[in-house]
Amino acid sequence: MNAAIARTAAEEALGFHLPNRRMEEWRWTDLRQLIDKPYPPRQKVEAKGGDVERLLASSPFAGVAATRMVFVNGEYDAKHSKQSNAFVESTAALDDPVNLMNVAFATDGARLRIEGNVDTPIEFVFISTDASPRTVATRNVIEIADDASATIIETHLGEGSYLANSVTEIRIGHNARLDRVKVELESHDAVHLAHAHVIVDRNAAFRDFTLTAGAKLNRQNGTFRFIGEFADAKVSGAYLLAGKQHADTRLVVGHEVANCASRELFKCVMDGHARGIFQGKVIVRPGAQKTDGKQSSHALLLSETAEFDAKPELEIYADDVACGHGATSGDLNHDHVFYLKSRGIPEAEAKALLIAAFVGEAFDTVHHDGIRAALEDFAARWLTERRRKG
Amino acid sequence: MADIETIALVKDIDVDKYKYGFTTDIESEYAPKGLNEEIVRFISNKKNEPHWMLEARLEAYRRWLQMDEPTWAKVDYPKIDFQDLYYYAAPKGSAAPKSLDEVDPKLLETYAKLGIPLKEQEILAGVRKQGEKSELDEEGSEYASGKVAVDAVFDSVSVVTTFKAELAKAGVIFCSISEALREHPELVKRYLFSVVPQGDNYYAALNAAVFSDGSFVYVPPGVRCPMELSTYFRMNAKNTGQFERTLIIADKGSYVSYLEGCTAPTREDSQLHAAVVELIALDDAEIKYSTVQNWYPGDAEGKGGVYNFVTKRGDCRGPRSKISWTQVETGSAITWKYPSCILRGEESRGEFYSIAISNGRQQVDSGTKMIHLGKNTSSRIISKGIAAGRSDNTYRGLVSAHRKALNARNFTQCDSLLIGDECGAHTVPYIEAKTSTAQFEHEATTSKISDDQMFYCMSRGLSQEEAVALIVNGFVRDVLQQLPMEFMAETQKLIGISLEGSVG
Repeated sequence: MNAAIARTAAEEALGFHLPNRRMEEWRWTDLRQLIDKPYPPRQKVEAKGGDVERLLASSPFAGVAATRMVFVNGEYDAKHSKQSNAFVESTAALDDPVNLMNVAFATDGARLRIEGNVDTPIEFVFISTDASPRTVATRNVIEIADDASATIIETHLGEGSYLANSVTEIRIGHNARLDRVKVELESHDAVHLAHAHVIVDRNAAFRDFTLTAGAKLNRQNGTFRFIGEFADAKVSGAYLLAGKQHADTRLVVGHEVANCASRELFKCVMDGHARGIFQGKVIVRPGAQKTDGKQSSHALLLSETAEFDAKPELEIYADDVACGHGATSGDLNHDHVFYLKSRGIPEAEAKALLIAAFVGEAFDTVHHDGIRAALEDFAARWLTERRRKG
Repeated sequence: MADIETIALVKDIDVDKYKYGFTTDIESEYAPKGLNEEIVRFISNKKNEPHWMLEARLEAYRRWLQMDEPTWAKVDYPKIDFQDLYYYAAPKGSAAPKSLDEVDPKLLETYAKLGIPLKEQEILAGVRKQGEKSELDEEGSEYASGKVAVDAVFDSVSVVTTFKAELAKAGVIFCSISEALREHPELVKRYLFSVVPQGDNYYAALNAAVFSDGSFVYVPPGVRCPMELSTYFRMNAKNTGQFERTLIIADKGSYVSYLEGCTAPTREDSQLHAAVVELIALDDAEIKYSTVQNWYPGDAEGKGGVYNFVTKRGDCRGPRSKISWTQVETGSAITWKYPSCILRGEESRGEFYSIAISNGRQQVDSGTKMIHLGKNTSSRIISKGIAAGRSDNTYRGLVSAHRKALNARNFTQCDSLLIGDECGAHTVPYIEAKTSTAQFEHEATTSKISDDQMFYCMSRGLSQEEAVALIVNGFVRDVLQQLPMEFMAETQKLIGISLEGSVG
C-alpha cells in the first residue's frame, strides 16, 4: 500500500491504509471506497438493558442445545456464558490486511482447547449492540487435541452501525475432527471482515460451513493448510443476499503434503442489487501427490440487477493429482418453474422451492441435525420475507 | 487414423528437436540500435507512410514512455533492455518486389525450407492436392481449392504476398499493412487502433509506435474469401524485435479464414516479439483466425528463446457476427497472449480454442477474454494445457457480461495435463456476471496421463513415447478438429516433437 496516497476519513480513524482494488485479491472489494465512514477502534461501549437478551433470542440457534460463550461489544460476557476461556496461544502470523487490523485492535475472543469427544455443540455468540459507529475486533483460537472431536458454532449478531473484525485460528490434531458452522447475521448497517486460519494435521477431518446473510459489506478470508497426510477438509457456504449487500469470500486451500482431499461448495443467492463474489484457490505444492481437490461455486441471481463474480483458481505443482473446479451463474431455470406451475404450485411458491433446493445442497454438508434444521428454518424465513417484500 | 500418422511422424524426427532453428545468411539493413522518436520517424519514413500515421506512432511512443511493464502474469524473465534492440531489420533490396521473380532467391529458399513454397502453382506442404478427399472431412463439407495465399514476413518487412491477383478478382484485399497504408489509407485509417488503441497496454503501445509490417485483409460485403489466407512470420536477424501488426476487416456478410505461422532461428540471446492483431467483423460476418506458434523455445536450460508478448483482439461489431480464435502454442520461451472477443453486436458469437504445450523451461501465460456487451451473445472457450519438463503453464481468462448483455451465454472448459512432477499447471479464470439473464458455466480439471492408459497402450505394443503421443492427441482432439486442414498434420507432428523426451 502506497503511503503517499492521502488517507480517507475511514483510514484516518483506523490509522490504517485499507486494501484497494489495485491489490489483486481485493479487485472486487475495494475497502477504500466501500468503507465510507469512520469506525474508530477501541471504543468501550456498554450494552443497554435488554439488548443482549433480545439479540440472543434472535439467533437461529437459540433453540439448539449448546454450551454458549457470549461476547458483547468485543468483551467476554460471563453472565450469559456457560463456558469460560482456556489459555491457548495465538500462533498464526498472517500478513493479510484483515488480520493486521485484528492484531492491532482485538480486545477479546474465544480461547478453547478440546480434548476427548465433546458431544454438545459449543456456540460462540458475538453481539454488537446499537451505539456510535466503531470497530469491534475479536480473535478466537481453537485447538482440537489429537483424537478429539467437537462441533463449534460461531454466530455474529448485531444492531446499528459498526465494523466487526473477526479472526479465528484453528489447529486440528492427529485423528481429530472438527465441525464448524459460522453464521453471519450482522446488522444491515455493519461491515464484517473475517479471516479463518485452519491447520489440519494427519488423518484429521474438518468440516466448515458459513452462512452469509447479514452486513452491508462482508469480506471473509479462509486459509486452510494440510500439514499431515490423509486429512480431509470440506468447506462450504451459502449466501442469502438482498438489497445492496456485498459479500466476498476468498479461500486458499494449501495442499502441502500428499494424500489429502479437499472439497469446496458455495451456493450463492443474490436478490435486489446485491453483489456476491467467490474467490477460491487450490494450491498443490511440489510433492503433494495424490491430492484430490474439487471446488465448485454456483450463483443464482434473482433480479436483473444482482451481480456475481468468481475467480476459481488452481495452482498445481504436482502431477499425480485430480483437481478441478466448476463455476456457474444464472437465474432460475424457467423450465423448472414451468413444471412446478403445471402441477398446480403457484409461481412464487415454485420459485421458493427451487431456491430452497439450491441452497439446501450446501446445508447438507452440516452434520449436526439440530444445526442443519435451524439453518433450513432460517433460509425458509428469509425466502418468506423476500416474497412478502417483493 | 490421425493418431497413427502422428506416431509415424514422431518416429521420423531426428535428434535436433527444433528443426526451424537455422539462420539465413542474408545481408540486412538495420535501423540504429535503441528506441527514440528518431527511430519511430525512421520506420515511418522507410514505409513512406501518410503523415497521420507518423503522428499516431509518435502519440503511441509518448504514451509508452509513461507506462509500466506489466508484471501480473505468472512468468519470470530478466528485465528487457529496450535500448539494446534493433527495431527495424530488412533484407537488403526487399523494399518493394513487384513479383516473385524479383524476390531474393535466398529468401525463397528459406521459406521452402520451412515448408512454405511461395510459388503460386504450389500449395502448402501437408495440404492435399486439389479435389483430393480426406476422411477427416465433415459430411458434405465444401473444401475445394487447397490453395493458400501467403504473406511472407521476414524480420521487419513483408517480402512477398502470393495470389494477390486471384484474390483481387473476388474483391478481397490481401497485402502487407505498409502497402495498405499507401494504397488504401482510408480503410486503414478508419479501422486501425479501433480495436486495440495505441495506449491499450504496454506492449500494444510499443507495437503501435514501431510496428514495421504485418498483413492487411479486407473482405468486401457478401464475399466468401475464395481461399485460405495466411501469414508466415520469420525472425532471422540477431538482437531484433519483431513488431508486426495485422488488421482484418470482414465487411457485412463476408467470411474469411486466416492462418498464422511463426518460427525463429536458434539463438543464445532472447528475442522479443510484440505483435498486435485487430479483427473487425461487421454484420453477419465471420472471421476464423488460426495460429500455430512455434517460435524458438530456448534450450533445455532456458537459454535463449523468443519472448512472445502479443495482443490479439476481435470486435464482433455487427449483429450475428462471429469471431473464432484457434491457437496452438508450442514455441516461445515466454508466452503472454490473450486473444479476446468483444461481443458488441446482438447475437454475435466468440470462440476460443487453444492448445498450449510447454516443455523444458518454457513459461506460458495464455487465455482469452470474452466480453459480452450485446443481447443474446454467446461464447465458447476450450483450452487444453499440457505442461512437461520444468515448465509452467497458466490459463488466464475473463468472461464478463455487461448489465445490458441480456441472455449472454458462455461455456468454458479448461483442462490441464501434467507430465512429470517438476512442472506446474495453473488456472486463473475470472467470471463477472452483471445480469441474472447471463448463463455462465465454467469447468476446469487437472490431471496426469493415468498409469492405466499408459499400461493399456504399451500392452498393445506401443512404445512409451508413442503411447504419450496417442493419449495427448486424444486429449487435445476437441481443439485439433477446429484447425484448418493446412495446420492439422503439422500440429499433430508438433505435439509429438514438443513433448519428446518428457517421459521416462
